[in-house]
Amino acid sequence: MRHFIIGIILLWSIQPGFGQTEKEKAWLDSMKSETHIGVEMQLDPVVVTDSARLAQLTTPMMLMKLRSTDQLMHRLSGVNMIRRGSFANEPLLRGLTSDRYVISIDGMRIYGACTDKMDPASAYIETINLKSLDVSFGPGSNTNGSATGGGINFGLKKPVFNPDTPFKASANTSYYSVSHGFDQSLDLNYSMKKLALRLSGVHRKAGNYSNGRGEKVRYSQFEKTNYSASLNYRVNKSSLLTVDFVGDDARNVGYPALPMDVAFAKAKMMAVAYLANKLWVLREPEIKLYHNNIKHKMDDTQREQVAMHMDMPGNTRTTGGFIKGLLHNGQKSRLSLQADFHKVFWHAEMTMYPNNPNQKPMFMLTWPDIHRSIAGINLGHQYSLAPDQQLQGSLRIERATSFISSNFGERQLSVFDKSGTEHRNEILINLSAGHSLQLGQSTQVTSSLAYGERLPTASEQFGFYLFNQQDGYDYLGDPDLKKERNIHLEFRQSTQKQNIQLETAVFTYWFNDYIMGVYDPSLSNMTIGAKGVKWHRNTGDALMLGGEVRIKNQWFGTLKSELNAQYVYGQDADGEPLPQMPPLKISYTIDQKAGRWHFQPEFIWSSAQNRISSKFNERATDSFFLANLGISKNIKLPSGAFRMTLSVNNLFDLAYREHFDIGSILRQGRSIDVLLSWHLN
Amino acid sequence: MKYLKIIIIGLLVACYSCGGSEAPEPVFKTELTKITSKTENGIKVTLFASTGFFVGYNAVTAKIEDKNGKLINGKISVKPIMKMKTMSHSCPIELPNGTFKNGTCQFNPVFVMPSGEMGSWRIEFNINGTEVKVPVNVSAPEKARLVSFKSMTDAKTKYFVAFIDPKKPKVGRNDLEIAVYKRESMMKWSAVTGMKFQLKPWMVSMDHGSPNNVAPVHTKNGHYKGTVNFTMTGDWQVRLTMKDGNDKVCGKPYFDLYFQ
Repeated sequence: MRHFIIGIILLWSIQPGFGQTEKEKAWLDSMKSETHIGVEMQLDPVVVTDSARLAQLTTPMMLMKLRSTDQLMHRLSGVNMIRRGSFANEPLLRGLTSDRYVISIDGMRIYGACTDKMDPASAYIETINLKSLDVSFGPGSNTNGSATGGGINFGLKKPVFNPDTPFKASANTSYYSVSHGFDQSLDLNYSMKKLALRLSGVHRKAGNYSNGRGEKVRYSQFEKTNYSASLNYRVNKSSLLTVDFVGDDARNVGYPALPMDVAFAKAKMMAVAYLANKLWVLREPEIKLYHNNIKHKMDDTQREQVAMHMDMPGNTRTTGGFIKGLLHNGQKSRLSLQADFHKVFWHAEMTMYPNNPNQKPMFMLTWPDIHRSIAGINLGHQYSLAPDQQLQGSLRIERATSFISSNFGERQLSVFDKSGTEHRNEILINLSAGHSLQLGQSTQVTSSLAYGERLPTASEQFGFYLFNQQDGYDYLGDPDLKKERNIHLEFRQSTQKQNIQLETAVFTYWFNDYIMGVYDPSLSNMTIGAKGVKWHRNTGDALMLGGEVRIKNQWFGTLKSELNAQYVYGQDADGEPLPQMPPLKISYTIDQKAGRWHFQPEFIWSSAQNRISSKFNERATDSFFLANLGISKNIKLPSGAFRMTLSVNNLFDLAYREHFDIGSILRQGRSIDVLLSWHLN
Repeated sequence: MKYLKIIIIGLLVACYSCGGSEAPEPVFKTELTKITSKTENGIKVTLFASTGFFVGYNAVTAKIEDKNGKLINGKISVKPIMKMKTMSHSCPIELPNGTFKNGTCQFNPVFVMPSGEMGSWRIEFNINGTEVKVPVNVSAPEKARLVSFKSMTDAKTKYFVAFIDPKKPKVGRNDLEIAVYKRESMMKWSAVTGMKFQLKPWMVSMDHGSPNNVAPVHTKNGHYKGTVNFTMTGDWQVRLTMKDGNDKVCGKPYFDLYFQ
């Protein structure tokens, strides 16, 4: 029985590519901890993997920092966060923004509804609902869509069948001194013979935080509620029906780095999936249908001295489905197939109200009812060449159709002699090949080569005078933009000797027709105070080089340490630095266990970033050194456990900003955080 | 022009179908309404236009009947006259030719001021030698469609710039048409043909323009055509700079528009 459950759950993790075994193991482990009674209380089974084989298993102490999905991702090697406020940061994968990678939730495609990127899809997922987080770099390793930068797939927690203890629950509450923030969350699981249910809810609220200078950062407040329900129904011995629903409702969210805040951001996601052992030629198939809808409204009514009050609502709707499974699963080779389809609709508008009551409101469509439908087919093959050698290959072909349906939008485009109503079709191809070799007992060397293509985003293709606070320009989309292409080459090495594990990765991305904003001096800006207008253009070749290093040590039985380092170098078609390139950053975490106590100091150092893009009006960023400290204690209860965690983040109350932070807004100063968790069964 | 054609066809159909015995009311397409009519010296003149007469470039269709209600043909001259207390003056007028057929005549008076306490307008027709004077009411539109100014080069010549198109501006690309006249004397007005224009649509409340406009160039009879682009709805100003043949700036007329 347990094997069956594990088998079923494993299906969620089917992703061709390297790291397969690693990931399966991680999932398997997490399943064990969920089905084993009494062990599970130690940690929420947040399992974080990425396809670069730099798998991370979080320790209980780290959970303290995993208050939000943002903070969780911020800790991943190769991931940085673009920060517009203390809410809904945009993940940056090796310096590549969300324009260049695919975000999905259990394979479901989802698109943010804000033209100013205030709501990357990751903002609608809470850690309490997260079972896994799969970050893949480069075009080869993501099966959910064509992209040049990789992808992030959030694995949602599922209800667990457990006849021995049908009812399980956990509750958390926490307090953050820096913003007087309170979080509460509740997670319930109920299992019957054929049916398992899971319900969860999160409420988070925070005021304005204080930065390292002791100043309150205005408009950094937020409040949100996230609720989810999922159901697993065992149709028969070898098939399972699952239903998932996640709702997210954020209100009154401040964005101190931007000229506007958010009145509300509402997401509803639903999915129905059917899993079986075998279906026709497909082993372990998963068939899924999904829909999600996001409504977002920017708001500036809280701001003082607004040059012009604006209403900027946006909406996206995505509907799709996929079927995936294994065509062949032998001793030496494994062939996987995925066919998927989705349709997405974007609408965003802007109404401007002049302060002078004699002047009339103005209106424009910033996303003029954009439609896109994408059908893709994905093949992945793994082949064992020899006991110590593996080959891997993948191919994805995608057909995409994009157009706008608004006459008003079409008239807007007529200003530039362009049209958006004609259906533009593109074929996109992602290809990858890899080879991994075991050297002796302890070392594995992997090399991979991938080719990727991506469509322009909705904003890049059809956006109309979208103001970008980062460089201060209004941006115009170009319907005739070509797809961006790249080649990704990566070498990885992993060595494990006794108590030390060393992992390194070096990579290069070579982009063709790199899409970037290009200043057009003939156009005058629409936004008051903007510096001018930029077109999204295919600019030519861009190049990125970089690497990641991780060293894990187990010093004595109870003392562990982990060092992570990352760096990316990038240059654009003119040989100038690409914007938002991660400087060298090193983090060092120590975890000392003593009985039921954990003690965890952490140090983060970032070098200065002086290679900046002048076209992008980027500013140089100073080096900083940050220290955090945490202590936790577990208390065993007759039927469950209780955990207390106390941590001090930014111990020295440093006034700092990271290179990706928009504007001159400083990050949080010293914060004393308290987390209380309780688990039943 | 499209409507005029439709009207002409309509009138023709009406004429032929009734054998000219009894002239019924011509089949006018929508958007043209009857403004006024006057019977004088046995001739009835009825004026039609899309809206009431306003200060600016008007497109007028006149229906001309004899006392039996029969549509007539012949020679015609049209002169709008502003009758004031102490003086009278005319205004620019376009009359394609001096003849008319099937009781229909189209002409374009460019009224330069509104009717009011200062004086009143009438249109003086001479139809086959018979005078018909039709009093008309001219109102000032909410947004000015005619701008007059003294030339900045000689501070003497008085120019009148009329805004013809777009009549219904919308977001995106719009055909722009203006007409320029000057006053030679109280009764003599002429089209100005040798001007060069610069064009800048401006959103005053936000202080920005719009791209890819085409400045109007002369086509014929003092008419200038170009393209004006609007990137959003709201209050727009179509700003023009008018230069003479020597590239000297004569004036900077502008027109306010509002649409949503």
